[in-house]
Amino acid sequence: MAIEFQKGNSLLHELDARTKLLIFIGITLLAVVIVDPIIMAIVFGSLYYLGTKAINKKLLNKNLRVLVVIFLTFSVFQILFFTPENSYFLFYLYPPAELVPVTVQGIIRGIAVFFRFFSVVLSVHLMLYSTPPVDLALTITKREQQFKLRTDLLVSLLLSVIFFIIALLEFNQGIERLVLPPFVKYLIVYAVCLLLSFLVVRIASHGLPPEMGVALTLGFATVGILTKQTQKITDAQKARGYDVQPKNLFKRIRVLTALLLPIFVATMERSQDIAIAILSRGFDYNISKRTYRRQLIFKRIDYIVMAVIVILILGGFFLNYLGIGNPTEQFILNLLSA
Amino acid sequence: MTFEIDFQNVTFHYEGSNIPALKEINLSIEPGEIVLITGPAGSGKTTLCSCINGLIPHFHEGNLQGNVMVRIYNTKKARIGGLASLVGMVFQDSESQLVTSSVADEVAFGPENFGVAREEINKRVVAALKATRLEGYEEREPYNLSGGEQQACVIASVYAVQPDIYIMDEPLANLDPAGRAQVLRLIIDVAKKRGKTLVIVEHALEEVIPLVDRIVVMHQGEIVRDGTVEDVLSLGDIPQIFTRPPIIRLSEKFLHQVKPLTPEIFYKELSSKYDLGTIQANSSLLQEPVPDGKPIIEVKDVSYSYIQGTEALRDISLTIREGELVAILGRNGSGKTTLVRHLIGLIKPEEGKIFVNGKDVAKTPTHELAQDVGFCFQNPNHQIVTFKVRDEVIFGLRAHNIPASEYEERIHEALEIVDLLAYIDAEVFDLGKGQKQRLALASVLALKPRILIIDEPTTGQDPQMAEGIFSIIKNLNEMGTTVLMITHQMEYAANYAQRAIVLKSGEITFDGPIRDLISNRSFMEENYLDLPEVTKIAGQFSKHGIPPWLVKIDDLIPTIQHILPKAT
Repeated sequence: MAIEFQKGNSLLHELDARTKLLIFIGITLLAVVIVDPIIMAIVFGSLYYLGTKAINKKLLNKNLRVLVVIFLTFSVFQILFFTPENSYFLFYLYPPAELVPVTVQGIIRGIAVFFRFFSVVLSVHLMLYSTPPVDLALTITKREQQFKLRTDLLVSLLLSVIFFIIALLEFNQGIERLVLPPFVKYLIVYAVCLLLSFLVVRIASHGLPPEMGVALTLGFATVGILTKQTQKITDAQKARGYDVQPKNLFKRIRVLTALLLPIFVATMERSQDIAIAILSRGFDYNISKRTYRRQLIFKRIDYIVMAVIVILILGGFFLNYLGIGNPTEQFILNLLSA
Repeated sequence: MTFEIDFQNVTFHYEGSNIPALKEINLSIEPGEIVLITGPAGSGKTTLCSCINGLIPHFHEGNLQGNVMVRIYNTKKARIGGLASLVGMVFQDSESQLVTSSVADEVAFGPENFGVAREEINKRVVAALKATRLEGYEEREPYNLSGGEQQACVIASVYAVQPDIYIMDEPLANLDPAGRAQVLRLIIDVAKKRGKTLVIVEHALEEVIPLVDRIVVMHQGEIVRDGTVEDVLSLGDIPQIFTRPPIIRLSEKFLHQVKPLTPEIFYKELSSKYDLGTIQANSSLLQEPVPDGKPIIEVKDVSYSYIQGTEALRDISLTIREGELVAILGRNGSGKTTLVRHLIGLIKPEEGKIFVNGKDVAKTPTHELAQDVGFCFQNPNHQIVTFKVRDEVIFGLRAHNIPASEYEERIHEALEIVDLLAYIDAEVFDLGKGQKQRLALASVLALKPRILIIDEPTTGQDPQMAEGIFSIIKNLNEMGTTVLMITHQMEYAANYAQRAIVLKSGEITFDGPIRDLISNRSFMEENYLDLPEVTKIAGQFSKHGIPPWLVKIDDLIPTIQHILPKAT
């Protein structure tokens, strides 16, 4: 089933489209950094909670149910085949030949994998459900003409600090090994981070050319009409005495081809209509000077959400740095060895 | 002086066509003028409009000779985008012009293209929605609006660009009476009150003529008549090309003047001029006998609601007898289409029972019901699945497992009825809209259905084409086919059908002889139905014994003559 935008006024709906895009990226990072099943389950749970506030629970569950099966297979694979060395051995799945060992670490990481994957996919779902497609399209469209040096600089600086902390936490040993005075060492690392963040900001602010961005928004708006049209065409053929769902597979293909022609013609007509409609309202007037009614503004809640995501990611790195990135596993192993 | 719009000896051929779509057109329109362009389908009206905003020659390719000037700009050199700031276009099919996902976005689309600042755009959106009475619709999806609201939305989005010239190509064609009234009001607001130039293409002359200053009649790419309203009207009708509204013909005949009048004023002027008598009921105009064949469609207590929870039908019960010709009437969204879709099983009844020719609709698949019921859809393009006229008819025959030996005979018969036999080997894409509609009808007729259901058979067709389709329907009915037709065209419904079923908000509010329906004016208004023009006039004379259900002008003229003093 297609994921369609659902109207609403929940927290997720209130968030800026860009924030939701960042949440998705943030969760993806988080899923890489954090390997602990309980922390990931909490992240997943809070995301799901936000989701149920934003959209119809039934609808959400219906779409997620299929995914449960898929991700469960993933975690079974993890449990069975990707066992870390020196694991706490439990039993063999096939004892006679001592094949497929099941270990404590395997199970814990398997459960974590389930939540890690699921969180990422859920965040995409929530973004699509709670954001009008037009806003999403605008997010990735280049809209402002003037080069906003100050904002870009500020964002880059902030980003570079985050990168710097991550670098310190993650590549500590590598940095230690450099034979340089400590001050210079850290300065160099920071300079690299700054460069990296400048690059990211430049690329991110580039976006699609406006022609494509607007075309994308028009495309999204057409989906509803085309769906309606396809339904009408199918009905018209049924009413002509055409069995639209015959049991014979060969016949079914023939039916499809018969439906394709009118759908094709209708879609062609629609695109011609759109072309005429937008040209008649000045689409080709001066596309690079185009303005936009819809405005994306960050509100306080956006900054809060972004800060939470950043803290979570940094926290994850920090736990790994301290060597306690996997508290659940360590706790259970301690219990077992005691 | 410079004209607002100036056609200088313009001839245009579409790419690949030898026949000129426009032939030596000379037409100058002054600022603030309101011009009606009329003429049969294919006479070049839409082509003319497309020349004004530069779609010709920049989008539709072809050979354009002569110059089209919009103020000081030659459309050959100007860009469509540039012209769009001066010329606002409203086309016939409102849905096809709505391109964004909310009403506010739709209205903002034009100003955005012209680089208007955001605050100004927001102001214009508010103003445009106010002018078109669409306040509160900002976040609605355009394709979920009713026909009238959609057209209002299109007009709002042109209005927001603030052009000086409005071109409206059949803005009323797809609308029900309520929608038409809404859009007509808008046109007056936008053009007349603000002194903008307006070129309007329409077939609905009686509604538009009172609003315009000038009439241009086109035929086969040429202007055959052009002048002030009174000049053009006093020159009389042109058969097949230009038929004046009944009120004009009556006032010419009885008042010896050709001013556009309302029925009330016509009556007032006539009764002040003459001492009007009364007539007794005329035997030749008595009620047509209603066929009392055996029931072929039975609907019992059917209710249906859409998934969104809106109730589409409530406790519908009706019986259609064999051989009847029934008009199903009501405004957009009243449940007409939902009702007829039940009859062929495209929708299964949630509550109640439906029997069609003895078969229970809930248990019979659509393709089986289709053997008894022929169904013609509003848009022929949704129905046509092949490239050739002959193949299109065969397609249906094959689906119904008709033996191949019968093909030729049935194809000829069906095409004969709809007057398309000459096109038997033509390509479908070469057919005009009216012809496509008739082809869709033919491919249904070839199956010899006992029941024919037609949903809006005349959308966007000129009066001659509509007349053609309705006489085909009447003909079929006389040959024994039971016909149910949905239509907004009260005039044709009253002319051809015997029985009317009126739906309002999913309930049947009237089921009976159509003459009883159109005699009851206040009921018609309550159900958003429009009286036929002649009936409106006849109603004024009801106290003189003229039947209030007259539909044909040829029936009305003798009765009025009858009540006039003998000396005249």
